[in-house]
Amino acid sequence: MNDRNNQLGNIYVSPRAIATIASQSTIESYGVVGLAAKNLAEGLAQVLVKDPSLGIDVRFENDSIQIDLYIVVEYGVRIKSVARSVQENVRYSVEKAIGLPVTHIDVHVRGLRISNTD
Amino acid sequence: MSDFNPPSAAAGRQLAKVSQLDGLGLKQLIEAGMTWLKTNQQTVNALNVFPVPDGDTGTNMVLTLQAAYNEISESGEANIGKMAHMIAQGALMGARGNSGVILSQLFRGFARGLDSLETMDAQLFIKALIEGRNTAYKGVVRPVEGTILTVAKDVAQAAENALAETDDMNMILERIVAEADQSVKRTPDLLPILKQAGVVDSGGKGLFYIYEGMLRHLKNLPLETPVTTVQPLSAMNISETMESIEPGQDYEVVVDFRPSNPLDLETFYNDLSKMGTSIQVGEGDGIYRMHIHVPTENRYRPIDYTMGLGTITKVSMENLIAQMVTQDHTKHTKLQLAPVEPGQIAVVVVSPGVGISRIFASLGAAAIVSGGQTMNPSTEEILQAIEKLPTDRVIVLPNNKNIILAAQASASMTVKKVVIVPSKSVPQGLSAMLRLEPDGDFEQVAKEMVRALGDVETGEVTIATRSVDINGVSVKQGEVIGLHNGQVVESASNLEDACIGLLKKVHTEDRERITLFYGDNISKNEVNTIVDKIRAAYPKHEIELHDGGQPHYQFIIAIE
Repeated sequence: MNDRNNQLGNIYVSPRAIATIASQSTIESYGVVGLAAKNLAEGLAQVLVKDPSLGIDVRFENDSIQIDLYIVVEYGVRIKSVARSVQENVRYSVEKAIGLPVTHIDVHVRGLRISNTD
Repeated sequence: MSDFNPPSAAAGRQLAKVSQLDGLGLKQLIEAGMTWLKTNQQTVNALNVFPVPDGDTGTNMVLTLQAAYNEISESGEANIGKMAHMIAQGALMGARGNSGVILSQLFRGFARGLDSLETMDAQLFIKALIEGRNTAYKGVVRPVEGTILTVAKDVAQAAENALAETDDMNMILERIVAEADQSVKRTPDLLPILKQAGVVDSGGKGLFYIYEGMLRHLKNLPLETPVTTVQPLSAMNISETMESIEPGQDYEVVVDFRPSNPLDLETFYNDLSKMGTSIQVGEGDGIYRMHIHVPTENRYRPIDYTMGLGTITKVSMENLIAQMVTQDHTKHTKLQLAPVEPGQIAVVVVSPGVGISRIFASLGAAAIVSGGQTMNPSTEEILQAIEKLPTDRVIVLPNNKNIILAAQASASMTVKKVVIVPSKSVPQGLSAMLRLEPDGDFEQVAKEMVRALGDVETGEVTIATRSVDINGVSVKQGEVIGLHNGQVVESASNLEDACIGLLKKVHTEDRERITLFYGDNISKNEVNTIVDKIRAAYPKHEIELHDGGQPHYQFIIAIE
């Protein structure tokens, strides 16, 4: 939970709300074909989750946000570049919406989806 | 015909029909696309707004394409399918950034569309383009339209439409370039963030340059020099070019001139690009404005050169290195705030300028909230500063009479013990600050600080924003006014007279020190002249000068 004081009272934003924002911007990132529930066995990682907070872990530390993302990536893309742009997109959209710094985003690539074989 | 041999004919000629293309032809096209993109790299970089303005889309796409080309640069492969696969492989390995990854997917699909065929005809070309588009779209769950993806899609569609009329690949490429251009222009309608920023999509624009480069190569147009588009003078955004200074960009030269003969832009641009970078040309009312960044040794060349073209009306030159140094200075000098132990007394200071913050910090301020005359900090900002301190005994110095209330409100909202020492000006705040004893008795220290407020007289010098008669002083708008403890006491036509006049009104006889904090709206030269005058007028006083960095007030003066 994260609260910010103002004259009228406190504002609480739940990790789930932040996860939803992160989820949206993750799946809009190029190269990502889905989020994977983090507790599924490796082989099941391709079961793409619909629930916006699955596949995303949000933690608060002091006044900053830390996020873990579990994603499935399209086969044939440069994973490093994709992961980096996911980090950038997620940080941008979360910071823009919440106004607190995102200090850490760990991207876990849990699987690849092969839609074309070359 | 299995190869594009650029004929020597002039630009814009009718292209010969091409119905077959092989691997070597594709290689030439890729090289041309890469060269042209490289030439226009900075233009693409300047468009970058999404998701954060990092300005490297152009660079990322060039590096991706470069990696693709490196893969084939030594190859003499005539099989176009194999060539395309090598290109895709290189692009995949070298993909940089979002647009680079998408570009690599376009190549990957394109290669798959060609399979391992020897040559490509128009039909296959379209098939490969469509396959490229499909592959690129498969790489994302929720494609964002108004990006390079959209441009790739529109291009594939236009090419498919063209196929109904022709099987000439040159003609199809012309259609592709035209459609890419249009599609890029439409991106702001699809992606609001682009519209807000007033730009088109950078990745889409990069893709356009790749296709346009291929076409320019076929038309035998130069690929090394960008085409200048002359913009209206009002649209020139010269300050933007300050963002990134590369080596060899030591001086910024801006020349306004009236050419005696109609300006041949291509030549003009070409000649300029031999001298420097970041070239911009604007035109309005027959006057041209030329902007360029040049290395030190070239700093007069653009002026001499334009002089030969017509009449120069104005020249301005700026040393960018010095500018960057001052920018860095203000940006990166971190304030050294006083560390606070739990139980100690900490001071939160509201400061109107960077220099003033630094002085407060050196005197032991534990937190600085920026704010002043026209930028009052909110109760919340002050409260946050109070809450963040690791102690529960906090003193706040508002340093402006308009901020005292907000400070008091924030004091009432925390469980910590907070005392507002109602300093109405920076000199009062500093005077109070000198009495701080972090380990002293809280009540006692606060009392001392409040008492210290009376030890100092405050003078302020600023420009009157409206005409007014006040305290028997008649002030006209635009005049320089002097305030003593917040009251207008002096009005003069220039800064110097206002400062001297103000000091006369303040009883300086029984005081020994005059400290001046100069603002961000006055040049160092002016400051020095005025301070010399003050020194001459007050030889017995100690005169101190500090960079206050405050807005609005040319001078804040402490008289102790």
